[in-house]
Amino acid sequence: MQVFGPNELAADVLNKDLCIGCGACTQMCPYLKSYKGKTSMLFSCTRQQGRCHAYCPKAEVDLDELSNFLFGKAYEGSPLGSYEKVMISKAGPKMISGNFQAGGTVSALMTRALQKGQIDAAVLTDWKGLFPIPKLVTRPEDVVPCASSKYLTSPTVSMLNKAQELNYKRLGIVGTPCQLTAVAKIRTNPLKREDFKDTVGLTVGLFCTWTLDARNLVKYLSARGDVEKIKKLDIPPPPSEILIVTTADDEIKIPLSEIRPMIPHSCSICPDMTAEWADVSVGVLEGRPGWNTLIIRTEKGAKLIADAEKSGFLITDRMPKESFEHLLTAAGNKKVRAFRQALKEGCINNADNGHAALRVNPAVIKGMRIEPEEDHVGHT
Amino acid sequence: MSAILKGKKGEQRLLMGNEAIARGALEAGVQVVAGYPGTPSSDIIENLSRVAKDRNMYVEWSVNEKVAAEVAAAGSLAGLRSMCTMKMNGVHVASDFLLHLALSGTRGGMVLVACDDPNAHSSQHEGEMRHFAQMLEIPLLEPGNFQDAKDLIKWAYELSEELRSIIFIRSTTRLSHASGQVILNELPQTERKAVFSYNGFILDQMTGSVITLPIFFKHPQLQEKIKKAEQRFESCPFNSYTGPENPEVLILTSSACNLYSIEAVHLLGLQSRVGILKLATTWPLPKGLIRKHLQKVGLVLVVEEVLPFLEENLKVLAYEMASEIGIKRILGKRDGILPGFGEMSPSLVAGALAKITGAKLDQRPEEYEKKVAERVFFGAPARDWTFCPGCPHRATLWSIENVLQMDHRQGFVCGDVGCYTMGLSPINFGTLKTAHAMGSGTGLAGGFGKLEQFGMEQPVFSVCGDSTFFHSGIPALANAVHHGANMIMVILDNSGTAMTGFQPHPGIEKNAMGDIAKAIDIAKVCEAIGAKVRISDPFEVEKTQEILFQLLEEKGTRVLILKQVCALSPEKKGVKKFEMIVDAKRCLGEECGCNRLCTRIFHCPGLVWDKETKKARIDPILCAGCGVCASICPAKAIQKTPATSGKKEAA
Repeated sequence: MQVFGPNELAADVLNKDLCIGCGACTQMCPYLKSYKGKTSMLFSCTRQQGRCHAYCPKAEVDLDELSNFLFGKAYEGSPLGSYEKVMISKAGPKMISGNFQAGGTVSALMTRALQKGQIDAAVLTDWKGLFPIPKLVTRPEDVVPCASSKYLTSPTVSMLNKAQELNYKRLGIVGTPCQLTAVAKIRTNPLKREDFKDTVGLTVGLFCTWTLDARNLVKYLSARGDVEKIKKLDIPPPPSEILIVTTADDEIKIPLSEIRPMIPHSCSICPDMTAEWADVSVGVLEGRPGWNTLIIRTEKGAKLIADAEKSGFLITDRMPKESFEHLLTAAGNKKVRAFRQALKEGCINNADNGHAALRVNPAVIKGMRIEPEEDHVGHT
Repeated sequence: MSAILKGKKGEQRLLMGNEAIARGALEAGVQVVAGYPGTPSSDIIENLSRVAKDRNMYVEWSVNEKVAAEVAAAGSLAGLRSMCTMKMNGVHVASDFLLHLALSGTRGGMVLVACDDPNAHSSQHEGEMRHFAQMLEIPLLEPGNFQDAKDLIKWAYELSEELRSIIFIRSTTRLSHASGQVILNELPQTERKAVFSYNGFILDQMTGSVITLPIFFKHPQLQEKIKKAEQRFESCPFNSYTGPENPEVLILTSSACNLYSIEAVHLLGLQSRVGILKLATTWPLPKGLIRKHLQKVGLVLVVEEVLPFLEENLKVLAYEMASEIGIKRILGKRDGILPGFGEMSPSLVAGALAKITGAKLDQRPEEYEKKVAERVFFGAPARDWTFCPGCPHRATLWSIENVLQMDHRQGFVCGDVGCYTMGLSPINFGTLKTAHAMGSGTGLAGGFGKLEQFGMEQPVFSVCGDSTFFHSGIPALANAVHHGANMIMVILDNSGTAMTGFQPHPGIEKNAMGDIAKAIDIAKVCEAIGAKVRISDPFEVEKTQEILFQLLEEKGTRVLILKQVCALSPEKKGVKKFEMIVDAKRCLGEECGCNRLCTRIFHCPGLVWDKETKKARIDPILCAGCGVCASICPAKAIQKTPATSGKKEAA
């Protein structure tokens, strides 16, 4: 993995509108800070190499290197990434109920992992008014209040940086594909620091097609009235074409056509729908309300699922073939779109000392038969 | 006893130009003096205020220059001799009143002393003011040496009382701030009693109402005064000619440029070929005197600062006289032989003279000059445009910069005049994006704060000093509040007019003469105007930033008063609140996570980068013990403990 410094981070990511606000570069120095969903560089830093650039999920992400590190094999570009098993799941009878997006699988897994001591703290995402903020949780009962998808950019990874200072040894983190790309980069010790310790004990990924710029959504909602707190965001399955924002006393329905301009530009070059760098990845299962899609990717993930099932925190079932094929198509489409867009923008596999956002084996892209000339790039 | 009071008639003393002006005012028996501080004019009142009690004068630092002119005019209208002082910017502020005063006329002698700052040594521009004399139609005098700086004052009062008009005296930095030998005269022993008469005939300037109307009467009356002034100028003892009877070249000059011209003529050994006409009376020009000298010469070089004011007026006269004395060649700034900007110098004048006369200017070899320029550029240590150690402005701008960058909406700060103007410099985070006249930052911010309807989404701040607040910040704030402008005014209250030397202002419990004065509460003024007011100490970095974030969430005109006494204030100087140390073990130095934040970005001179150990350390001599750097250190390596001695080490 090539590592540059803050100047390159500014030039290649911040100034190119590729920052997704994941917070991976923050909580480490006085120069980069996250506030209300936006990451800012406060002053110039002259270092040739920095953790900020090394951890960024939009700068020099070498997909082969991540895949080799986590799964011991090269990146193949398959729609779902590396996995052992795909099934469906929901919270089991031992789990208390909560404000779950679908089946409550993620809350159940994190609650169980904390309870069993598989992790000593969990990095989750909560709300602070209209903005998602990271939250560090050590007690199992504090997981459920953080439940539900945020759909907005969130500096969740910043809490991982902060938690490392607090001497936790086995941190669990729930994150979107971009957030977990940053976590995977962090774990590879990209700066080859001698004192480096991998403090991540569990990664639970969330499926993501795209997210929304938190500030733009807040601005949109504020223009519609006095909205102080978001309780839940939901995009029901097609053909509904709406975002439902549940607030303390209202339910605001926004057509997706109005939402799409709020999708960060950065999402258009993201090839990952199913959070490929996680131990387990979880999404909403379409067509069967109250259930999640569950992808088990690692042995650690498989053990966690087995234990959660055995202890009554999770119920699993086989995935219907139709749903699986639908998942493959959706994830594959996102990947093709992203590589096509990255090629178009010239931020992939840049040669001759050029800086790339992504690095991937050219054969993988060739195998996808992407025609970069095509210019009908959409977001759904 | 103050130096300008000491000394009897006939004694010679080394006086700074501004001291000479002050002594001249004393010798003329001035009783009322008012002004607003501004370099290079401030020392005149500084000196007079110290002897106010001894001489039974009334001396004040007024809220601004217009009010100073009004206060001084009241003294004149009550029959006393009065003076008002200001720097060039102030004439613009006072000019509205001065235009009226020129028409209404004065009674007791009144002199306006205004000091220009060519090359903007301590200003944000070098705009000169002599043209105001012409616009206001009042006589203009310029002392051409230190003796004149004193003696011209008394002459000006006599002229003022003869014409019943205000007299404009102009000095420049090099005259006001340099020193020369001055022979003293006696101080008067009589005092006038103040009475304002108003029961006389309305058109009688001395006994009727003091007004500018009717114009058909007053304006011609004013122009009669100017004609009379011109007559008196013909025999003014401060206009003098030195040089041969029939010079090849005549230098026409005034003010400090007279001194440069004398030096240049000597430098080139042109005493027998070049004559110097030093003019003290520069508007209106005395036609007879000019004619007398012009008819003896074919070529004139006008040496003046900054704009070609004398040159243009001389050209008008020369045109009018051309049929009698022939066409003269007049050189100066318009033809480019001398620059139309910056200060003059003996070498600039000598260069021009050498070109004109063919005289050899003994210059240093070109190769040597080149080497010197290189050495100066690359060899001399750079001196940053930085704030003092312990300056509250650094802490203030640090907090604003951090908050604005994190806010990420391209917010910006409008500044004005004060040490905080240095916030324009990248070394001070470059937080200020505009800087204009006193109070203009708030006026501009109020304007930006109304552009929402045109799509403007950037948050707008202004910064305004405490003295500036009273000077001209209040109208700008009232305008913003009244019109509901979305802006945040940050008042940098460092307890005095710090930049010019801690002159008191209406927020201070002391006046210019050292008497107890009613202090006006800035917060209460802002609240009464209708702004939401918060108060913090800029040294409390975290709290200040928290308030700034809150303010950014609100709408309308908001005020944050940041109170912390200037680090150089007499009440603070030498007293450390904290002893600061850097724990070298914790200091991250150039490592990822810090990269010398304190010495590379924060830039307090009290923090030193140790190249040997690659760690930061505190310079105990320079450190003022404010404690702010402990709040910014990411590794908590900079630590503070309450100072025990309370005194600055070795200071």
